[in-house]
Amino acid sequence: MSGYKRMWRRLLGDRRAAVCLGILAAELLCVLFLPPLLGLEPDLTDRTAGFWAPPSPEHWLGTDDVGRDVFSRLICGGRVSLLVGYGAAALNVAVGVPLGLLAGYRRGPWEFWIMRLADVFHTFPSIVLTLCLVTLFGASPLNLVLVLGLLGWPDIARLVYGNTLSVREKEYVTAARALGARTGTILVRNVLPNAAAPVWAALAQRVGRAILSESSLSFLGVGIRPPQASWGNLMQSASSLAVLAGRPWIWVPPGLLMVLTVVCLHVLGNALRDAMDPRSPAGRGGWEGR
Amino acid sequence: MKRLPALLLALCLCLPLAACGGPPAETGSQEVTIRCGISNAWDALMPYNSVSGSNYARIVYDKLYDRLAYVHADGTLSPRGAESWESCEGGYAVLFHLDGDAAFHDGTPVTAEHWVETFTLMTDPECPALGRGNFSVFTGTDQDGCRVAGEPFGAEAVDELTLKLTFKTPTTPEDFLLDKNREFYVLPTHLLEGVEAAELMELDLWKAPVGSGPCVFVSEIPGSQLTLAANQNYQLGTPGFDYLVITVMDKSNLLTALIAGDLDYYAIGGSLSADDVPLAEASGLTVLEGTVPNTFYELMLNCERISDARVRRAIELALDKDLLCEQSTHGLGAPAGSSISPESPYAASAVPAAERDVEGAKALLAEAGYDGTSYTLVCTANRAGLAALMQQNLAEAGISVTIETVDSAAMFAGMADGTYDMGIASHTPGALPLWFTESRLSETNNIFHVSGLEPYTSRIQAIRQEADPEARSALVAELDAYLAQERPFIPLWFGTALHVQSPTVQNIDYPSASFSNENVWAWVKE
Repeated sequence: MSGYKRMWRRLLGDRRAAVCLGILAAELLCVLFLPPLLGLEPDLTDRTAGFWAPPSPEHWLGTDDVGRDVFSRLICGGRVSLLVGYGAAALNVAVGVPLGLLAGYRRGPWEFWIMRLADVFHTFPSIVLTLCLVTLFGASPLNLVLVLGLLGWPDIARLVYGNTLSVREKEYVTAARALGARTGTILVRNVLPNAAAPVWAALAQRVGRAILSESSLSFLGVGIRPPQASWGNLMQSASSLAVLAGRPWIWVPPGLLMVLTVVCLHVLGNALRDAMDPRSPAGRGGWEGR
Repeated sequence: MKRLPALLLALCLCLPLAACGGPPAETGSQEVTIRCGISNAWDALMPYNSVSGSNYARIVYDKLYDRLAYVHADGTLSPRGAESWESCEGGYAVLFHLDGDAAFHDGTPVTAEHWVETFTLMTDPECPALGRGNFSVFTGTDQDGCRVAGEPFGAEAVDELTLKLTFKTPTTPEDFLLDKNREFYVLPTHLLEGVEAAELMELDLWKAPVGSGPCVFVSEIPGSQLTLAANQNYQLGTPGFDYLVITVMDKSNLLTALIAGDLDYYAIGGSLSADDVPLAEASGLTVLEGTVPNTFYELMLNCERISDARVRRAIELALDKDLLCEQSTHGLGAPAGSSISPESPYAASAVPAAERDVEGAKALLAEAGYDGTSYTLVCTANRAGLAALMQQNLAEAGISVTIETVDSAAMFAGMADGTYDMGIASHTPGALPLWFTESRLSETNNIFHVSGLEPYTSRIQAIRQEADPEARSALVAELDAYLAQERPFIPLWFGTALHVQSPTVQNIDYPSASFSNENVWAWVKE
């Protein structure tokens, strides 16, 4: 049985992780398929319902300040929030893993420049830097993915760097070198699978963090541009006291979904870490023998 | 013994942090601070150097510098820098009798000479003053408000306390003050001796200004907080507090801050939404409805980008002004087809609000050969909902719009430099027929980017020259009809504000705050 198959079996054997995975999958399916199936119109004002209408059979979660259906905006906003979350996390990994591998395996100037660059990125207050970049380049979902993705790589790079330092001294890596394997081959075949295991766990948490970052930016009014919905800018209406106190149907559902998503991602991340960790009971017998 | 240097070092590090405290701490029951909220920042502390020329800046200048009069919400006037005024020279000049008790914050008495020198400096072509077009009403100036060499200037000191202003056209003191009072402040010209006009705006004086208003400058965190002290020697009375702290905060937080007791007052840009009335009243605050329309909403257009008047008219026809007005005012407003206030004596000359006609809009667009160009609609964040409604309205007619939310100063700057194509703006209306058009359709402030201003300026000039009320009304109607045909901007609606009163401060003239002046000298906080 391959390492990945074993990992999946262990992961699904963890009941909490399986439930969370199910919730996240259902969320994804909902935001992708409900809008066309139900014909949701997130940007359309219903003049008969009016502004700030409470929940009704026509509008399950009422209408907002412009008379738009809140349920439609919640589902379509989920597309944007999840896109930003998963996209930014994927970019974190796409940039952080190769840099961490290079720094840890090649060492010397590679290690110095990559890790000092990571230090430089760490010295900036990330929210301020994100605010500046988003203001400069605009707040489209793609730009948010790029900004959040390119600013979050140092954590992943450090994680991979630390593991690579340890893995590069293992006998099987030395053996591969002695047999004349090229650096790229060694990195991809021998080092990466053994050094990147914790990244899977971190990846889930990065998704949650990116969703929260998008929400923070939208809450501050510099996130996704209106009229496009996101969970963050749906929450923004709660900055009005009248909405916060008297219209919970506007902000409670996106808030709950955000909390649910982030909690599920955290549980899943922990379960992934355990499933891939050869030292944990769940992951014993894991990856080194590949 | 090693602890002592460490303690000293820690103390040294903490001292600068302690100095960052901002407003002076209340050190006992003697010092009373009024905390005031404002939803947009001022852009300069020099009143003739405001890029935005917004009410947010004016309301700050109103505290630091003195004006000639105080304008009430109903259009009546009270003395301020001037005790009284009278018309002379057949209506072409006004004599202002200044208050002999008025003095600058450094103790120097304010004289007519200070007013004349201020006006002389600001009309100097070398001086990079902003909003200079306001001076163009005086004799001896050109249409941009610059002094013309060799011509007698229309500001003169008759004696130490009598200021005479001479106009190009017959102007009553009331018309002048209603229209221009908020544009003119007296500067401490005795501190400007020997300064080149070209370098006037660069002085450090404007970072800690000395004015003659009811409040004295203490400190500023630019764009965020301004701390002022009560001017103990203000001629209209000493304000009933020690410090006034003006803090910029998001509009949506103003009511929360007032209820929580973090603020004592907010007015400009923070009029209460009808939606929030039950909450405000339940929190022990009093809500007052304004007596006259005090907000005029318009859609600014960039006529260079939207160059065909038929497309601009189509935009107006596509907008559902009733729905937009309802969304914005919750029933406290009425759609408009003109910038002339419904309370103005010239209201009968105003073009009525156009009914929504999507098919008519489509026909106009087809006639103009509209190619589907997408326009940028800019607004402040609190109007994003309004912009989204407009976007839907315009999409129904086939006009594509992208929304951008920025702060107020960036919006006006972006409209002025042509960055944006449309912008949602609101203004405090005046009773005069030209309160809106005259200052925005001139060579110095062509914010709508109109290519040929002559048809506007000639009509505006004709209105100014006409003294007969009936003939003037006819000219006003002609100008309004021309504006409706060309549509350099789209009038949206006039709204009436709700004001929310906190019990912590007494005697605030809430409605007049919308007219860029506040009776600070009468405010009392126990």
